[in-house]
Amino acid sequence: MLTREQALQIVLRRLAALGHELGKPELAQADEQTRLFGETAALDSIGLVTLIADLEEDIRVATGQTVTLADEKAMSRLTSPFRRAGLLAEYVVEITRN
Amino acid sequence: MSLLTRFTAYSAKPALAGSWGVVNFGELDALVVRAREFLRQLKLDRPTAFGLIGEHGPASTAWLLVLAEAGHFVAPLSGNAVEHPAKLALINAQWIITTEPLSWSLYPRVDEPSAHPLFARLREQGAAGLILFSSGTSGVPKAMVQDFPKLLATYESRHESRLPVLALLGFDHIGGLNTLLGSLAAGSLLVIPASRAPASVAAAIATHRVAVLPASPTFLNLLLASGEVEGHDLSSLRVITYGTEPMPESLLHRLKAAFPRARFIQTFGTSETGITRTESPDPGSTFLRFDDPGLEWKVVDDELWLRSRTQIAGYLNASNERFTDDGWFRTGDKVELGPDGTLRILGRMGEMINVGGEKLMPAEVESVILGVPGVIDCRVRGEAHPLTGQTVVVDVVAPAADQEALRAALRTACRQQLARHKAPTRVNFVAAVSGERLKKTR
Repeated sequence: MLTREQALQIVLRRLAALGHELGKPELAQADEQTRLFGETAALDSIGLVTLIADLEEDIRVATGQTVTLADEKAMSRLTSPFRRAGLLAEYVVEITRN
Repeated sequence: MSLLTRFTAYSAKPALAGSWGVVNFGELDALVVRAREFLRQLKLDRPTAFGLIGEHGPASTAWLLVLAEAGHFVAPLSGNAVEHPAKLALINAQWIITTEPLSWSLYPRVDEPSAHPLFARLREQGAAGLILFSSGTSGVPKAMVQDFPKLLATYESRHESRLPVLALLGFDHIGGLNTLLGSLAAGSLLVIPASRAPASVAAAIATHRVAVLPASPTFLNLLLASGEVEGHDLSSLRVITYGTEPMPESLLHRLKAAFPRARFIQTFGTSETGITRTESPDPGSTFLRFDDPGLEWKVVDDELWLRSRTQIAGYLNASNERFTDDGWFRTGDKVELGPDGTLRILGRMGEMINVGGEKLMPAEVESVILGVPGVIDCRVRGEAHPLTGQTVVVDVVAPAADQEALRAALRTACRQQLARHKAPTRVNFVAAVSGERLKKTR
């Protein structure tokens, strides 16, 4: 089980690492308002899929839980959890709660 | 000149070598004479189905040829015995022959001959049948029946050769049988390693000064990774052939560096159409050209179609839907045409991965990843993803690596060398990957 703050740290750390890998150093300064997907976002669709895959691994390491972040349930939400870093962190807390 | 006639001419030359010793053609011929006598004593009055259980060796070779000569149907069965009962039942084998390297035992299995129309057709023609199995798409093996005399006839024009050959593929595999029949026809020594592990194979090459190594890219990659190349004198190798799956270009470059004196030749074959003679226009490239008067080929919607003299008579337990009415075999291999009538195998048609409408084949990504330091082997596949339809996933064998760093390194290598959608999004570290890199469904 993760707190919102812990989940946010995991998301931001992973964003920074992926930014380093993708040559987007600005992602090291990401915060919970950082847009992940959509117009003006830092990542394209493949970048977002990569972030999600890496986060699933980070969550497994941190909690021992195997989770799927991107599934139909997540996609059909009115507010996509992939829109901003903070929303994604909240979604991580939610699905690791059980 | 037929194979068995050649045995007399080659008499004193070594024919087969294994952990049991070396047998020359004269001794092999003596085994053939004994097997023939055993068969005569069975007093079979019609063509009969045999299961021939065993690995490459003098006894199994003698029986294979004797059964062909007498016009029977033979299914060579090697490897995991768990699968044998189902296969014996499928062909309705009346007799089972189990072979040790230099001896055999015969067991009756059922009384009634198979009533399968394919067998009936071959009986009418007086032709022996060779039955080979391929892993069907549903997991049930498909039994393919080949006109055996027609297949054997393709070896009659072979020239004599002194180059020892290694038997890597099994006695039950079209590639392994092709190696066996080819070396017997040429009067060369066929060296059978104690196992297919790189250490065994390297030891067998060094001991018998093997010159020809027919292999698969997966095995050659394993051989390099094992470190056995440094531990043995493999300088006798002159020709290394590779087939059954796409060759990653990065692997071919590493192989050429490790075996600077060897020529690399791509082979191509399917169980349905037989092994085809090919030539590589440029030894450094993975393009090939068919060089076989018995074979016609064409490319239909990126898929390779073949029509060959040695193609199978049919399946015992599957429809002939992969064959067209006019005899073309749809290989299921996706190919790319090159200059001057060359082509390159990209992978299996069904393996194509579609990432948000942009397509790729696993082999091109595997080639890049295999070139990343620390990676021993890998398999790339597509996985369903709600954001992009499918996404590229790789299973990587890299026991010594810092996983976090390697994950970034191999994705970076893919982004630098390939279109962006081809980089894996998910990297799984695994202890081993299964099967050949090209998942064969034929």
